[in-house]
Amino acid sequence: MESFVTELLTLLFAALRSATPVLAVVLGEAMTQRSGVINLGVEGQMLLGAMTGFAVASISGDPWLGVLAACGAGIALSMVHAILVLGCRANQIASGVAVLILGGGLSAYYGIPFVGNKIDTLGNLNHTFVSDIPLLGQFLGPITPTVLITLLAIPAISIFLFRTRTGLRWRSTGESQEITRNLGHSPVPYQLAAIAFGGLMSGFAGAALAVDYTANWVEGMTAGRGLVAVGLVIVARWNPWYALPAALLFGASEALNLKLQSWGVPISPYLLATLPYLIPLSVLMLSYRGLRASGGGMPAGLRVVFQSAR
Amino acid sequence: MEIQLYNITKRFGEVTANDGISLDIREGEVIALLGENGAGKSTLMKMLFGLYTPDEGSILVNGRETLIDSPQKAMSLGIGMVFQQFNLVPALSVLDNLLLAYPRPPFWTFRRLFGEGASQQNVLAYLEELAPGLDPNTLVRDLSVGQRQLLELVKVLNLNAKVLILDEPTSVLPPQEAERLWGLIRKMAEAGRSIVLITHKMQDVMACAHRVVVMRAGKMVQALTRENCSEASLVSLMMGDSSQRSDIDTHRDPDLAGKPPRISLRGLHANHGVQSIDNISLDIGPGEILGIAGVSGNGQHLLADALVGLVPLSRGEVIIDGVVLQSASRAPKTSDRVAYIPEQPAVNAVAGDLSLTVNVALSHFRQLRFFPAWGPEEEKTRDIIRRYQVRPDNPALGAGQLSGGNLQKLVVGRELEGPRDLIVAAYPTMGLDAGAAHDIYQALFTKAREGAAVLWISEDLDDLMSYAHRIAVLQGGRISGLFNPDQFDRLDIGRAMTGEHLPTADPAPAEPQARIAS
Repeated sequence: MESFVTELLTLLFAALRSATPVLAVVLGEAMTQRSGVINLGVEGQMLLGAMTGFAVASISGDPWLGVLAACGAGIALSMVHAILVLGCRANQIASGVAVLILGGGLSAYYGIPFVGNKIDTLGNLNHTFVSDIPLLGQFLGPITPTVLITLLAIPAISIFLFRTRTGLRWRSTGESQEITRNLGHSPVPYQLAAIAFGGLMSGFAGAALAVDYTANWVEGMTAGRGLVAVGLVIVARWNPWYALPAALLFGASEALNLKLQSWGVPISPYLLATLPYLIPLSVLMLSYRGLRASGGGMPAGLRVVFQSAR
Repeated sequence: MEIQLYNITKRFGEVTANDGISLDIREGEVIALLGENGAGKSTLMKMLFGLYTPDEGSILVNGRETLIDSPQKAMSLGIGMVFQQFNLVPALSVLDNLLLAYPRPPFWTFRRLFGEGASQQNVLAYLEELAPGLDPNTLVRDLSVGQRQLLELVKVLNLNAKVLILDEPTSVLPPQEAERLWGLIRKMAEAGRSIVLITHKMQDVMACAHRVVVMRAGKMVQALTRENCSEASLVSLMMGDSSQRSDIDTHRDPDLAGKPPRISLRGLHANHGVQSIDNISLDIGPGEILGIAGVSGNGQHLLADALVGLVPLSRGEVIIDGVVLQSASRAPKTSDRVAYIPEQPAVNAVAGDLSLTVNVALSHFRQLRFFPAWGPEEEKTRDIIRRYQVRPDNPALGAGQLSGGNLQKLVVGRELEGPRDLIVAAYPTMGLDAGAAHDIYQALFTKAREGAAVLWISEDLDDLMSYAHRIAVLQGGRISGLFNPDQFDRLDIGRAMTGEHLPTADPAPAEPQARIAS
């Protein structure tokens, strides 16, 4: 019995660690979409963040500098989306895909010299007071700083979004740009901030993956996590609190995949590796059924994404 | 605060929306801006509110010429406007919506912190005065139209507005709520505010205006005090010519009146999105025009969609000449013998990127060949364009390039073309001037005399009472009243619209029987 609980807790905390990059992206993208902008480029921003973060960490020797650089890179790339969408009124889907591909290409090219480098990691909670906590200590110990920061972002975002004036206007921008404009607030600063915040979070997610979780840089290492996060935003109903279980779903399926492989389940590892994508997709379909009438909490302003500008 | 509009002119492209209009707005006075749709009332007031800037002329506030180039500027001057389309975010609460519009809202909006402080009292003060029972944490999407309008009014009052512009405030309200609003308007005027009431309804003018300014086709026709005008004189000023309701032959063909019903709705139930209809049973005879009255959003839209086969029924059936057209037991289908003029044809009845010819052909696409012969279709389109005076008159133009009113005429023309058993018309004259509306009613009645049954949905009680052969009232998805012409009474119908009581007329006949109007 005790070994089962231990096993389950191990799986949960493993899920939390592997879910952290996805969680950060879900939080960022949910905030972006709450302002009425959809950014499919988060995957590219994540890759560029991961590459930049790893490169800076490897050159400077300071992983924290790498995390900062990754956030900067995420914001910088998201500004391409901002310029195209807010400045040129380009189609958001097309612009997002362009950012995705741009991020993939840039990170692949500039990342070549850093493949195989070794970097110092951010460390974890082992050897702090936490590891002395009875029973839970062994699980809390391996938790890394990016996990904590991402978890802390949830209440911070939620307070900002639901309990401040700026958050209220942010939400109203996402519900209807037209109404917000009629009320005398320009939607553009909010959407710009929202895209930048999405960039920051996806850059950070890249760092969480490359600098913290794997301490490694490989071309295309995000492997679709960014795009899965866009889908998980729907599962999370654009709510920062629901983002945690939604992202854990991904993390748990990934941990399950590794567990199944280690148990030697006679299924091709290539097929098993699709689990983290198949399971959230099924949940997305199930959770979306019956929600269509109310839109599942979708910011009403997102509809303009699919309308051509007149 | 005194405001003078002096010689204001505004053009949109080639259209002159306002032509040299001068107007005084004085303290404590209610001015009714009266005119048909498209007369330029809203345009004029949008200039005062800073949404448009005049091409010529000037605006004087307290005697000083002032440039009002944005709504913020207007609001800082104490000018507020309540629009016909509400600026409310349905997914947010009443309090959130008020905070969004509040001039200096607190940064933290924690309910606990904020609950006891003075700021929430300030934000909610007018709400408590105008709607004492309304919980500020209710989501706006759960409010009735009347409540939403009150909320809009509270928003404007919160801005400390001295001049209130109300754009067609009673168009969405049932009569009782309209009366309450008139009282409110009078009270606000007594408190020293100036109120501009944009309207095309005589009752609004008679109920609360001190002065009436009549506009027609962008020009100011006349300004009168209320004492010096009668409804009839206002109507003729507003319409410009005497082509009135009276000259349409609204009588039912007596030969048709004795015949059994053509269309029977038997216990219709349907749900779609937030709307539902509940046990609707009606019969419509050949040549009969059945008016459906009701405040919008009470199931009219769904009833129409279910009849023509756009939405499945969950129970009940629709029978045309003894043949089942729609039934809950099978998938809904559309029919070439059923015409449908939906609300907002620009959105619901045409494909904006396709030409007028294609849009006309789409209504009978089943009869088109695999390689359609476009010549005859274009000829048909030209014919509709000519008869209904659609402008511009080029059938090759994309439908999206036409104005809403012209598209409306095109769609009506298209739907009334060819043999029809049932015509479902939702607000067929909305946004049209009196002349065009007259033509459309004329066409509708001609079609009815050929034997079609007409279900006509409208919010305009006056039109319904003058044209319809019978009126059924929809309230909360049910028929809350069925009126024969001798029972047509504004108040009774109004009560049925608000669901206050069920009138004496049998609301829904249990078994189909011919209910023929006299």
